[in-house]
Amino acid sequence: MTRPSEIKPREGAQPAALYKDWTVGQEFPPLPFTVTPDIVREYMSVVNADPNNYLIDGRQAAPSNVLFVYMMAVMYRVYPPQQGGIMLGNTVEFHNPIWADEDTEVVGSGRLTDKYEKKGRKIICYDVDFKRPDGTIIMSVNHMSAFPE
Amino acid sequence: MSDNKVEKTIPQTQAMFDNYGKLNGDNDILHYDDAFAKARGFRGTLGHGLMYTGYVCDLAAKKYGKDWFYRGRLKVKYVRPVCPGDNLVVKIEADGTTECKSQFDTTLVGNAGLT
Repeated sequence: MTRPSEIKPREGAQPAALYKDWTVGQEFPPLPFTVTPDIVREYMSVVNADPNNYLIDGRQAAPSNVLFVYMMAVMYRVYPPQQGGIMLGNTVEFHNPIWADEDTEVVGSGRLTDKYEKKGRKIICYDVDFKRPDGTIIMSVNHMSAFPE
Repeated sequence: MSDNKVEKTIPQTQAMFDNYGKLNGDNDILHYDDAFAKARGFRGTLGHGLMYTGYVCDLAAKKYGKDWFYRGRLKVKYVRPVCPGDNLVVKIEADGTTECKSQFDTTLVGNAGLT
């Protein structure tokens, strides 16, 4: 089992990356982790998920969006987080399910796609792709956040 | 099923924010320090954007069924904060238009559909 807290740098735990540090085009190295049935159960609890919505041909799937709890770790390992960040938007595509009754090996990777200042806010955009080790894509996200510094 | 409107209401508490933060490892002070959040101009601590995106995904899985897992697409913008005490109404219209709205304001807008 990989809890997100095991792989995600915590805000305030190390000097944060600042706006000037982010480099558009920077790749985020592959981050392997394991999603277990325990993680799926805990995730479904914290997002009020109804198990009946995740039955595929009679088999219990996980919400594929369980991968959200690992998303920021992929970026923050390159750019340690600041306090006070605010999420602005996400565009998500789902490609293949994760099953709730088995361990799933996942590799997250991505890249910083844009940064700009608007109305006094320092905005960054990045992509993260989550795949199985064999390359099968599960979920892809384009994310946008604003940071104070 | 995909032409149905789906909706649910989820009252928000600090404990819900804390439990989500415990799982995802998010230690951003805006999620747990009420005084800090208010000093930044918010009504209170902020719910995790990806937590209530999870609420939307749950409704989308209900609406679109199996197809959601293979070709679901969700685009969301977070337009106002969600704070403890908010009565959050999460909704996907028949055409996929998506919204989260509390008694104070619209908090999330977007679209959930199939590619």
